[in-house]
Amino acid sequence: MNVQFLFPKPPPSIEEVKDADGDIDMLLKSQRQKFETKVVTPGEVIAKDTQYMRGHGTYLDENETHLASVAGVVERVNKLITVRPLNTRYTGNIGDLVIGRITEVSNKRWKVDINSRQDAVLLLSAIHLPGVQRRKTEADELQMRKFYSEGDLLVAEIQGSFQDGSSSLHTRSLKYGKLRNGSFLIVPPTLVQRTKSHFHRLDCGVDVTLGLNGYVWVSKPSSRVLNEMSEDDSEYIYSNENEPIGKDAREAIARVCNCINALSKSYMSITDTTISYAYEASLNFSVKEILKLESIELIANQTKQRLKA
Amino acid sequence: MSSSLISPSELDYIIRGVDDNLRADGRGRLDYREVILETGLIFQANGSARCRLSKGTDVLVGVKVEIGSIEIDGTDEEVAAVKAKRGRVVCNVECSPIASQQFAGRGADDINNELTQLVDRVLNGPQGGLNLEKLCIIPGEECWVVYIDALVLDYGGNILDLIFMTIRAALYNTRVPKTVIEEDKEVEISDDVEEWERIEGWELVPISITLNKIGTRHIVDATVLEELATKAKLSVMVNKNGKICGIQKIGGGSIEHGLLNEMMQTGRSIGQNLILNLDKMLQKEDEINAERAKNDKIGFFAAA
Repeated sequence: MNVQFLFPKPPPSIEEVKDADGDIDMLLKSQRQKFETKVVTPGEVIAKDTQYMRGHGTYLDENETHLASVAGVVERVNKLITVRPLNTRYTGNIGDLVIGRITEVSNKRWKVDINSRQDAVLLLSAIHLPGVQRRKTEADELQMRKFYSEGDLLVAEIQGSFQDGSSSLHTRSLKYGKLRNGSFLIVPPTLVQRTKSHFHRLDCGVDVTLGLNGYVWVSKPSSRVLNEMSEDDSEYIYSNENEPIGKDAREAIARVCNCINALSKSYMSITDTTISYAYEASLNFSVKEILKLESIELIANQTKQRLKA
Repeated sequence: MSSSLISPSELDYIIRGVDDNLRADGRGRLDYREVILETGLIFQANGSARCRLSKGTDVLVGVKVEIGSIEIDGTDEEVAAVKAKRGRVVCNVECSPIASQQFAGRGADDINNELTQLVDRVLNGPQGGLNLEKLCIIPGEECWVVYIDALVLDYGGNILDLIFMTIRAALYNTRVPKTVIEEDKEVEISDDVEEWERIEGWELVPISITLNKIGTRHIVDATVLEELATKAKLSVMVNKNGKICGIQKIGGGSIEHGLLNEMMQTGRSIGQNLILNLDKMLQKEDEINAERAKNDKIGFFAAA
């Protein structure tokens, strides 16, 4: 039997083009542009070329044409084509900051809803225990609801993931923990980008915590500066009591919430910059006017223009 | 996901916000969210409408009229005599599991039953507005049966109010074919769409205003989180003339006598205003639909 080895060689139509970093790009610039921020709907043809690799959110038909299986943005890494869905559940990555809601208290752990396909797990050993730094005791196990009970909102970091794909959380720093003094809202998780910090203090005197899972907490800044060593403070982080919130602060929180909703409705990315731009654009309206579709459009347009400038 | 849970601090924030007359989204206690209304979306139905609250509930209603036999049940002769001359309205409300996690599996059964019964009772009674006698074709034998099917597609609080609004809009959109009774008592249905008529009395169909008691005060058009903070709900059915056509109390909490009266009065005045606005929207919708018909663009996505 005659065996012939075929050596891999680049398809003839592709020229080797060097980009700014001197890397060899396998696609021509014109071809590359085809993929840049291209929004597709399910069944839409992405590429007819057979040289590409099929990634998430795509499928091949009988003619080996790449089609989108979800509505989203086409992304390409060399030859791998994927479609990132616009509307999707959150998939946890280690180190991500998320906001979650406790759904269940069970044996030495809490189940936390983080807008993912499965509830995340927060182990009793992964929280900041009150008092001086110590090991968890049996007493802690018996009073788990004193720390977090069903319905509580918390901000946490993803520590790792389990075999089945669910995430494990931790709240060991004083940055993390129970959420108070504010209002909760949900945006599509794709709109929140990974940044250096997800805790923002806006100029209008409102704190915003952007969870990568699309859960957002808008609150009045706490008047208390927490100290890791103080015993009082470590009790305080599990308190359910709100501080008194004045009417002005409440209005500012409501305005920021409505601005974030306006951004998410116009499908714009949500960062501290876009929020403050939208906030400034919204000052022409009263807080409840921002709920109207026309004002949402106006605010979104102004924000877009300022972003371009 | 966990749409039936709320944390103590959120609860406190909502209650104090209601006290301050400044809710979490900046609305006052008696402010309604913006309603988006479309009619005539379903080809096969005699009438249809879809209402949405911005960032929330989405309800689709289809109305189908069919010829059916008059049902005379019970032994009471007086009742039978009235029923013999009347058409019927059959309602069905379904909360789709895509709307919310809490409607998945058998979770929606209770709320479906509750809403269906409530809508059915309001529309079939004398306060329902519709002139059921006009729906009678041959007394004692045949009549039009109006099937009203409401589907809740998205859940953002205040379902009941939106269902009533959508039903009213769908009934406005409904046309009933003309019938001719031939000599051998055969019913002939006219094919001429131009001759089809609205159901008489659609304008008197009531809408519901649900007042949620939070803390010691009450609000209208609650969001999901606000509904979780609600102790007791009172739904007031109001028609165009400001007549109260029914009230229903939902939830375990209590309402004081004085507050009950106050809630009914607020419900009445808000309801009347809302109906005025809705009627304006319906008229505009008629013009839009006429325009759309020219372009052959009718259907579920035409409005987008």
